[in-house]
Amino acid sequence: MLKLSLIVLVILAIMTVQTQKMRHAVVYLGAFSLTISFIYLLYNAPDVAIAEAIIGSTLSTILYLVALQKYKIFTVYYCLSEAEFEDQSHLTAEHLQFKKLLDKYCAKQELEPQIIYTVDATKTIIEHHPYALIVQNEPTNIKIWGHPENYKMDSLISFFDRELHFKVPIEFIQVEEVIE
Amino acid sequence: MNDHSFLISKTLTITYPFVLLFGLYIVLNGHVTPGGGFQGGAIIASVLILKYLIDPSLETPLKKIRTLEKITLFFIFLFPLGFLLTFIHLQLPTFNLYYLILMNLLISIKVACGLSIIFIRFVFYETR
Repeated sequence: MLKLSLIVLVILAIMTVQTQKMRHAVVYLGAFSLTISFIYLLYNAPDVAIAEAIIGSTLSTILYLVALQKYKIFTVYYCLSEAEFEDQSHLTAEHLQFKKLLDKYCAKQELEPQIIYTVDATKTIIEHHPYALIVQNEPTNIKIWGHPENYKMDSLISFFDRELHFKVPIEFIQVEEVIE
Repeated sequence: MNDHSFLISKTLTITYPFVLLFGLYIVLNGHVTPGGGFQGGAIIASVLILKYLIDPSLETPLKKIRTLEKITLFFIFLFPLGFLLTFIHLQLPTFNLYYLILMNLLISIKVACGLSIIFIRFVFYETR
């Protein structure tokens, strides 16, 4: 039993380090804490096991999740026309490639992309919704609005500058902060 | 976690008195069974965090918690000093038990306050 749990522990530790998504890593870390608290129990240390189970798998997991939610969620609104919203095959190959590149960028920067498709106008989104980026596909180019507090904007621009084989011109617009 | 689901909040409202009871059990039985002030306090702090998961917009009295923590810290220093200097444990051996329970309770309150202050500050006051 002890050896089995120790093997599970090693597997969970490797999985925690090797996953692509932060959220999965946090969940694996919680499972790791639970397993190690069980091992403490097998070593006749119930006191330490209780402390590890509470702090490792409850408090720190929730703290990590809150931290992820605070810093790393990257909300991207895709503004589509009604026809595109109904049937996504209207999107051209360039636009699909753009989406793939954005996913790649998010994976590189360890951001959690949260992608929302909408038919609303960009103005209503800027005024009423929390966002990091708003993407609008136009026939010739792609327009991107960035949130005033979006501190990733510069790195995003340089990332797309470096992707030379992506030909569609992209227009970046930094939204001015509204002072109330 | 702002878009908290109905299912989770309903389940947690039912569960969290039991979690609180479990924490109190661990604190009060700390001298005979595994557990004690720190572990029980951490469980009680996790109840406060569950409260945040149920309703994130809930107001928490941060200042009151802070003063409570300071008062308990004062008593945690005071009681062992009084216990040792008065030599009461030599005259009344049964007093040992009450002393242990009292210290466990005080430590649990201190730990619960400390952990919840960390959590509340982190959630509500830390921004980009």
